[in-house]
Formats: sequence, C-alpha cells, structure tokens
Amino acid sequence: MLPHKVKKAVTDNPKKLANLIDLVNLPSTLREFVGQSQISRLGCFMRVWSYIKTNNLQDPNNKNVVNCDEKLKSILLGKPQVDLAELPSLIKLHFPKEPK
Amino acid sequence: MGKIPISLRSAIPKTAKMKKPPLVPAASPSPSEKSCHFPKKKLSELAEKTKLPVSPGTHQQKPLFKSPELDDAKKLFHSVISTTRAPLDLRFHNSFLQSYASISTIDNSISLLHHMVKALPSFTPERSTYHILLSQSCRITASSLSPVHQILNLMVNNGFEPNQVTVDIAVRSLCSVGREDDAVELVKELSLKHSKPDTYTYNFLVKCLCKCKALSTVYNFIDEMRSSFDIKPDLVTYTILIDNVCNSKNLREATRLVGILRECGFKPDCFVYNTIMKGYCVLSRGSEAIEVYKKMKEEGVEPDLVTYNTLIFGLSKSGRVTEAKKYLKIMVESGLFPDAVTYTSLMNGMCRKGDALGALGLLAEMEEKGCSPNSCTYNTLLHGLCKGRLLEKGIELYLVMKEGGMKLETASYATFVRALCREGRVADAYEVFDYAVESKSLADVAAYSTLESTLKWLKKAREQGLAV
Repeated sequence: MLPHKVKKAVTDNPKKLANLIDLVNLPSTLREFVGQSQISRLGCFMRVWSYIKTNNLQDPNNKNVVNCDEKLKSILLGKPQVDLAELPSLIKLHFPKEPK
Repeated sequence: MGKIPISLRSAIPKTAKMKKPPLVPAASPSPSEKSCHFPKKKLSELAEKTKLPVSPGTHQQKPLFKSPELDDAKKLFHSVISTTRAPLDLRFHNSFLQSYASISTIDNSISLLHHMVKALPSFTPERSTYHILLSQSCRITASSLSPVHQILNLMVNNGFEPNQVTVDIAVRSLCSVGREDDAVELVKELSLKHSKPDTYTYNFLVKCLCKCKALSTVYNFIDEMRSSFDIKPDLVTYTILIDNVCNSKNLREATRLVGILRECGFKPDCFVYNTIMKGYCVLSRGSEAIEVYKKMKEEGVEPDLVTYNTLIFGLSKSGRVTEAKKYLKIMVESGLFPDAVTYTSLMNGMCRKGDALGALGLLAEMEEKGCSPNSCTYNTLLHGLCKGRLLEKGIELYLVMKEGGMKLETASYATFVRALCREGRVADAYEVFDYAVESKSLADVAAYSTLESTLKWLKKAREQGLAV
C-alpha cells in the first residue's frame, strides 16, 4: 500500500512536495555546513548523506549507524552517534514545520 | 502491480499501423507523391547531415543557421551557391529552407524562398517545398489559421492544388502542437475546396480527437464528415473508437460500436477483438475476456500473440493463474512464441497468489527458451519476492538489475526499501535509494519521499515492537 500512499502524497498534496523542494533560509549552524544561505530540505538531505559517504562516517561494524565528526555533530543536535533511520527527521528539525 | 498494462497498451497503435497495408486504396499514389508523403523526416535527416562536417568534395557549413535574421540567411545562401561545385538539387534547397524555417518566422521563410528563386533561376519550388512551409505554419501556436491559409494560397497561386498529402501534412502538424480544433476546421475547409483527407489522415485525426476531446465531439466530427463529404469510418476507425471507450471503461459503448460496425458490413477482426478483450482485462473481468476468446474462435478469427498476452494478463490479474497457464500451453501448441510480456504477466499472477518462488522459476524457464526478460519482468519479480518475504532472493535479483543498469519502478522500489527497513537493513535501503536516484529510475523527490515515509513507518513499528 505504500507506493500508492506516496504517489498520493506527491500528487494530491502539492504542499508536502513544496515543503521538500522549496528553498529555505538557513539558520547559521546549517549555513556553515552546507556553505550556502538557502537550500531545500531534499537538497540538504542529499548534502548530509553524501558528506557521510565521502568521509566514511558509517560505523564499519554497523553500517546503519553514523559516527558523527565535529562538523556533523554541529547540525545533528550534538549527538556522537546517529542512526541512519532517524537522519531525515533530524534534518527536518532545521526546517520550518508545514502549516497544518 | 508492474507496468504490464502499458506494454499491452502499446500493442494497440502498433496493430493499427500493421493494419494499414491491406487497406491501401487500389489507386496507389504516383511515385512523386509517395516520395513527398513524409518529407519532414527525410529533410530533417538531410539537414542533420548538412550540419555535420562531410567528406571532402561536398562542401557544407557546420552549423547551418546561427540567427533567424533574413539577411544572414540570404548571405549564407549566396556563399553556398557560389562556393559549391557540385550541382545543387531540390533536396538541398528544401533542406536549406527547412533548416531556416525551423528557427525563423513564416514571413521570413517565405521571403527567403522568393529570394532563393530569384537568385537561382534553375531552382523551381516543388510541392514538397511548399509543404515545408505549410508544416511550419501549422506548428506555430497561433490562435488563427491565417498563416496556414497564406501558405495554401501561395501554393495555389504557383499551380499546386492542395492534395491528400497536403491535407495529411497540415493535420499531423496541427495535431502535433495540440491544435486539434484547427485541424478539424481545416480538414472541412480543404474537403470543400480542394481535397478530401485519405483514410490515414482521417483515422489519425479521429485518434487525436479521441485522446483529447469528449466522445460526443468525436462522434460529431464523424457524422459531419459522413453527411457532408461522404467519408465513412472504416474498420480501423471503429477499432480506434472501441479502444478509446474501453480505456475509459465504457464497455457498454464498446459493445454498441461492435454492433454498429457489423451493421456497416464489417467483420470484426483480430484487432477489434483484442481491443475489447483488453477492455475487460483492465477491469479484471476474466470471464468476459474468455468469452471474447471463444467468440473469436467461433467466428474463425485466429488469435495472435497479443490476444494470448492480453488474456494471460487479464486472467493473472483477476487471480486465475491456473487458467492463465492453460492458455500459455494452448498458445505454444498453436505455434506462437510467448514473449517477455506473456511471462511477466504470468509471473505477476503467480506473485499475487503468493507463489514468488514459482515466478522465479519461470524466469529460468523463459531464459532457457531463449526469451530475454526485460526490466518490467525484473521489477515484477522484485516486487513479488519482497511481498513474499523472500528478501534474500530479492537482493540477489536487485544486484542483477543493478549490474544490467535496469531502472526500478516506483512500486518495486518502495516495496524493496520497505522490506529492507523491516529487516533493519537501513544502510542497504539508503544504497537502493542512491541507485534509484543515480539510475534516474524515479525523480529525486519521489525516491526521497518513499525513503522518508518508510523510515517514519519504521520508527512507529519499532516503538510497537513490530520491527528490528
């Protein structure tokens, strides 16, 4: 049922889509990390994920866990370790909530 | 599940094309007319060639036109005719004009043509030359037909009465930019003054109208053409109409149309039956699809590959795999070779029944018989294996797909990501996400939304102790 749901979310809910791809003015912490003042939530996720990959931050014993370096810690609530599963929700915290 | 309906759908235009040859009117067009029937394609190919650096001897410019300015075009024309040693023929002039017309306005193109005639007395514009301008004038998205009339008048004044080819080019060009209403208007006008459309043009227009207009508009057009110009719908027209109503799930209308075509003295052929059968199959009405098959047999119409593919797809879709397998057997016995569509439909049905392993076995069987699976086959299997909780097999299959550079479909991607997350293999899910984005299987947004909502679901499931 999930694909149907997602399809519905994307087509029937332009607001949800906009929430993903609209450029947002970033708070200073995030601005430092991405090196630009505006980015979309999707773009930000891609940046963080590719940062993790290029710097080999996934725990070698458990790929599902990311060992944060200082730079990553600064944007992920200062956690030393982050589960990949919670990455999207942690990034979401920096972005304004969608109006109900 | 899967993309089978689309691949089946693609069978319809093909059949319509295949049907054409026997329907060619006895009086075949003269060779010259034939050669200019599809000038657009030939000329654009030619124009393409002229842009490339060609072998020595045939001197040409690399980019033919840089600006839509008339003066530049004139200069270019002069430089070409003064430097070329090889004699220039009509083809060259036509492609020269075509290249210019494609980036400039109609008025400038007409001026260029006049200029070319004046500068080079050996060049006499042919019907095909005017057709280039006509095609361009139809492609501009103007609100009126006046540029088209301008070209038609130019043609008539130069002794070229618009013929069926002219009508065809105008209609196809107009429809290619969504000006169906203008096409209808022009066809009526040309039928009155110059030439009626031939069956291909007529059917093409009917098909275009079916795609974007209400059924009543299409019927009005058909009635008007019949009453005013004595152009009657033929079997292809009815097939197009039946396909259209079947696609909008109006099977009662389809049945009515079959009655009408019989009244008109036509005998439904394989294509008509296939179309109706597809209508039933899309609605998962397997019994009716079998009825159509039986009717075909009764009427002495030999079922073809599309018939069996449709039937097997329909039966699989409505959960009647055993019967579907039976028809696969009958199909092979009657000398037809099942293709990727046949096998994929059957796999789809088996997966739906929960027999994903059986479907996987069918993959080996089809490859053994020399039928190569396509990306739809793999997606169907991946989806089925993940649904059937055979994740390891699914991963194996995914690796094969990845190696072959195959794209993931929305449904199989989502199911796969979900299955991976359920097993706590989030990093692998991220890897699949990367592949989906990299291979351009899905838009970034769609791929990410799926991943995000799956992870959200995972969090909930973990809280409830349902997932690792």
